Amino acid sequence: MIRMAKQGNMTGRKAAAIRVTAILLAFLASSLFIRILGHNPLAVYGSMLVGAFGSPMRIRDTLTVAIPLTLTSIGILVAFKMKFWNIGAEGQILMGAFAASMVAYNLGNLSRWVVLPLMFLAGFVGGGLWALLPAWLKMKWNTNETIITLMLNYIAIKWITFLQYGPWRDPASMGFPKMPNFASGAIVPKLFGIQAGFLVAILFVVLAHYFMHHSKGGYEVAVVGESVDTARYAGMNVKKIVLTALVISGGISGIVGMLEASGVNHTLNASISAGYGFTAIITTWLSGLKPLVVLPVSILFAAMTKGGGYIQTVYQIPQAAAQVLQSMILFFVIGSEFFVQYKLVFQRKKSPNPQEGGQ
Amino acid sequence: MKRLSALFLALLVASATLFAGCAPKVTSDTEPQQQPEGQQEGQQGEAGTISKEDMVVGFIYVGPIGDGGYTWAHDQGRLFLEEQLGVKTIYKESVPENQEVEQVLRSMVDQGAKAIFATSFGYMDYVEKVSNEFPDVKFFHCSGYKTTANMANYFGRIYESRYLSGIVAGMKTESDIIGYVGAFPIPEVVRGINAFTLGAQSVNPDVKVKVVFTSTWYDPAKEKDAAISLLDQGADVIAQHQDTAGPQQAAQERGAFAIGYNSDMSEAAPAANMTSSVWNWGPYYVEQTQAVMDGTFASHSYWEGFSEGIVDLAPLTANAPEGAAAKVEEAKAKILDGSLFVFEGPLKDQTGAERVAAGVQMTDQEMLSFDWFVEGVEGKIE
Amino acid sequence: MQAQVFVKMENICKTFGNVKANDRINFDVHQGEIHALLGENGAGKSTLMNMLSGIYKPDSGSIQIHGKEVVFNTPKDSIEMGIGMIHQHYRLVEVQTAKENILLGRKGPFFMKGAHVSKDIREIGEKFGLPVDPEKKVYDMSIGEKQAVEILKVLYQGADILIMDEPTAVLTPQETRKLFAILRNMAAQGCAVIIITHKLHEVMEISDRVTVLRKGTTVGTLATKDTNPKALTDLMVGKTVDLAISRPPVERGRVLLEVKDLCAYDMDKVEVLRDISFKLHAGEVLGVAGVAGSGQKELCESIAGLYPVASGQILYEGESLVGNSPRDIIKKGISMSFIPEDRLGMGLVASMDMVDNFLLKEHHNQKGLWLKRKPIAEKCAEIIRRLEIKTPGVHHPVKQLSGGNIQKVLIGREIETNPHVLITAYAVRGLDIGASHTIYDLINEQKEKGVAILFIGEDLDVLLELCDRIMVLSEGAVTGIVRGDKATKEELGLLMAGEDLGMEVAQ
Repeated sequence: MIRMAKQGNMTGRKAAAIRVTAILLAFLASSLFIRILGHNPLAVYGSMLVGAFGSPMRIRDTLTVAIPLTLTSIGILVAFKMKFWNIGAEGQILMGAFAASMVAYNLGNLSRWVVLPLMFLAGFVGGGLWALLPAWLKMKWNTNETIITLMLNYIAIKWITFLQYGPWRDPASMGFPKMPNFASGAIVPKLFGIQAGFLVAILFVVLAHYFMHHSKGGYEVAVVGESVDTARYAGMNVKKIVLTALVISGGISGIVGMLEASGVNHTLNASISAGYGFTAIITTWLSGLKPLVVLPVSILFAAMTKGGGYIQTVYQIPQAAAQVLQSMILFFVIGSEFFVQYKLVFQRKKSPNPQEGGQ
Repeated sequence: MKRLSALFLALLVASATLFAGCAPKVTSDTEPQQQPEGQQEGQQGEAGTISKEDMVVGFIYVGPIGDGGYTWAHDQGRLFLEEQLGVKTIYKESVPENQEVEQVLRSMVDQGAKAIFATSFGYMDYVEKVSNEFPDVKFFHCSGYKTTANMANYFGRIYESRYLSGIVAGMKTESDIIGYVGAFPIPEVVRGINAFTLGAQSVNPDVKVKVVFTSTWYDPAKEKDAAISLLDQGADVIAQHQDTAGPQQAAQERGAFAIGYNSDMSEAAPAANMTSSVWNWGPYYVEQTQAVMDGTFASHSYWEGFSEGIVDLAPLTANAPEGAAAKVEEAKAKILDGSLFVFEGPLKDQTGAERVAAGVQMTDQEMLSFDWFVEGVEGKIE
Repeated sequence: MQAQVFVKMENICKTFGNVKANDRINFDVHQGEIHALLGENGAGKSTLMNMLSGIYKPDSGSIQIHGKEVVFNTPKDSIEMGIGMIHQHYRLVEVQTAKENILLGRKGPFFMKGAHVSKDIREIGEKFGLPVDPEKKVYDMSIGEKQAVEILKVLYQGADILIMDEPTAVLTPQETRKLFAILRNMAAQGCAVIIITHKLHEVMEISDRVTVLRKGTTVGTLATKDTNPKALTDLMVGKTVDLAISRPPVERGRVLLEVKDLCAYDMDKVEVLRDISFKLHAGEVLGVAGVAGSGQKELCESIAGLYPVASGQILYEGESLVGNSPRDIIKKGISMSFIPEDRLGMGLVASMDMVDNFLLKEHHNQKGLWLKRKPIAEKCAEIIRRLEIKTPGVHHPVKQLSGGNIQKVLIGREIETNPHVLITAYAVRGLDIGASHTIYDLINEQKEKGVAILFIGEDLDVLLELCDRIMVLSEGAVTGIVRGDKATKEELGLLMAGEDLGMEVAQ
């Protein structure tokens, strides 16, 4: 008989040991897998590192992925802290990008100093409103936010696709379904070869840290997340807190949309969100809902993605196999959290002798 | 805690043996990333040519190479290139049409790629951007319209082949309804549908072509469902502008017939497939790679058909109607000698209005931005 | 000489995480006896009984039932050995009849012969003195009847070892007496009855023998006739304790809180408060008695602005509070404190530390965007000293503290705001005797400061000793307000049962 039991005395050292074991196991298991594919595990891991950090260009590319991951994670974190399961970041990114693009297409010829702040604001508003909707529905009719935010993703994707094939199709594209590129004034400039959005990401990590841990607003969000009854008891306006927090959550994702459209893609299409909205759920969770941890976790995650992509071209490993590798690593790391919280008790069929119990 | 340490130890031992067992392979496997960039550039600068040993060609695919369709056809071209020139190729499959393209392109340049073929329309702007970053590298973008000094675009007049396949379908259909599963309502697809319809009408004036768009290039299940919906509407032949053989299988399951696309799909649905419009990218890849190696590359827009052998029609199977082969050969010969031009007037649109006057041939520009269906097509471009 | 041994548990050990819930416990029950299992909260009573009913498995030790060694993997194994457990919270399907509930989860043909089963149920009921109508729907039943159904259910399953977890918590004294008669009857019929309790007078009244647990170990098993409440308490607590609760005489002040004709409905539109009227004076403790669910919770939450009021008035020094949210009440500057029944779910944030829990009230008073934790931490440290709260520090999550210390944190926070009105709901529930007395002392200290206190209680002895006046609720209505020093338990019991005694309302 095997059964689960809650871990009682989890020390930091023990938890660390479990996590390290998990990582070792992950490497062991994926090494086996790599061997089966006919490659040398150590060389492949080495290549993953090279692919993620091997040259200034690769570091830039890794960071380019880490920026939206970090920001989106921060956005999701605000909602998750409140136990509001916002899995609609993907849609919020797109709607933020949509709102920002509206500015870019209409005012793109103005000075960068006017256009970019407006786009930034529009991105926040677009994503924020898209998240406000499920929050309002939940407050009003107690709807299930998981389902609604998920479905809103698809609506956002279809909306952008509609624009791409319809009203916003580039007239100069000879009928090809693509939206025009932004004018240069609507493009986030580069700094050290990376889109300047990294400054925004770092700023929001710090802001989020202070907001969550040192501000009244963040404190209220945390209390609502722990217990709505307590929040009401303490005289908090729960509805207002939930709605505000979701506007912030979605708004940050909306900013991601603005940065991705403006700083990276220079146009709008339905795939600029690139799955960040979903991947960031994992990174948010792995960070333990701590803003300062979000940054390294996102960078590591981006490195894993980049490294995984690199080994595909170097070893011509099929994409599916590279994803299996990534998933295996994730599986072990997330799985280890189970063992930090629970332990398995192996029980003998016969009742054991009574001496053992006394210590 | 004790048990944990034991586990630790076991793990370490296990990993040690695993790694030790394969130590000798290390050097050969890590080879590709040890190519020093600067050295290559130096060599290139000396003569303006690139030796076979230094030549690396990159390919970026939108789907997996095992799709048995579009990406597979490109990958066949890549393998042909390797075989013909003995150059090294690298590829990455399933690259989405977003900023990841840029990163993959840069990563390939970093791995020494001197020529990169990007094989999906949505890659265009990213290729353009990266081409400006790396003037020494030659980029080839498939199915778009942009060029730069070191970025060419290329595509094939697959519509010529579609016209021939339309002849086969038009002869075969008994219900006079042919189903056509299209990916997106974009000029490339619309052009194919129109050519196919004109081909079918050339042998069967009553034929109707019903079109369903799936909004995806690659989704076996969705493509199959779309084909089933067409079969339910009375179609007895299914054609497709999709990357998988899903529609072929749908036809086979219903006892109907099908025309494939991208690659010879006769094996995917042996009881249904009659022929396929296929790509033959290999010769172009060889030619252009050679040009890059020789230093003779010039930016261009390449759009050729049967004459250059970049498109073809797969051999007709036993499912094809009697006499079709002869008709197809006849038409193909006419296309090759110029006596048949697929989009030559009179051409009417769905409303019956004449769009191209008799004797007038559509220009490339008009064909590239096709946004209307010819008469006989049932479907809407949205 | 000795009766047959029905249950024998030897050297039972059970650990949860690093807490030893049971440490080498020995426990045996004989045929025909009522055996009380006594101990404070957390002494390991429920853990032990859950092992007997197959919910937990012991880490080590042996269990013998009817002289046979057994290993229970599921509750079903235990039921098959003739053990029936009746939980504190009844597990009946409200919309079904007694018969359907009794048959629930039983093996046998899908369609039972209804008449046949009804007859069986009636027979068992008569044998043990359990008056249950098999065809009656559960929602039509009184608490006492529901309990009877629960008991019948386990008897019908063939149980001859009956475990009752705090069976009197929801009963009036009169219903308790009826239950005890039934239990005695069962013992006389040859069953073994185990009753889990922490109420001493019940142990003295009903049990033949008593086993006392303390901190997961057996302190001893005694024949009830050889012991007394004082001795049992000392065993339970582990030291000599003073059981008396004082009621300091305080000059009563003006009316601070007045409730007039208050009515409220729950979500199903059932009236939960009916025309409640009372006045609460400065410097008095007004107790509220009633069986569980008589409207106590709704009354407190209505006053605190957490429960919607349908009609009536709540006046704080003449100012109406009806329709105000807790936030409005705070904004108005009304200093009223409410210590809710659900400490970790409402009064405190379980996973946060003491400082953040104090912020719950304090953050309203802080200016600016940012929280200032330092002054609060100092205040917390001082309260830890003053109330002798046992905690590793001000930054330790409150949920990891013991029940008594959690309550001290909550009360400490509330009295820190110097309230004029203090509402406490079940302030000592789940606390051990020592901690309970600390709370009583704190309440008296507030009373002496002139605070008006509404004390919702469940132990009638405590209410009678502590409160100046006691208001009795029955089904949401006030059935009487009596003086604490004049009333008897008997009177309170009748009022709780909803009987109109025609008593004068104590002003």
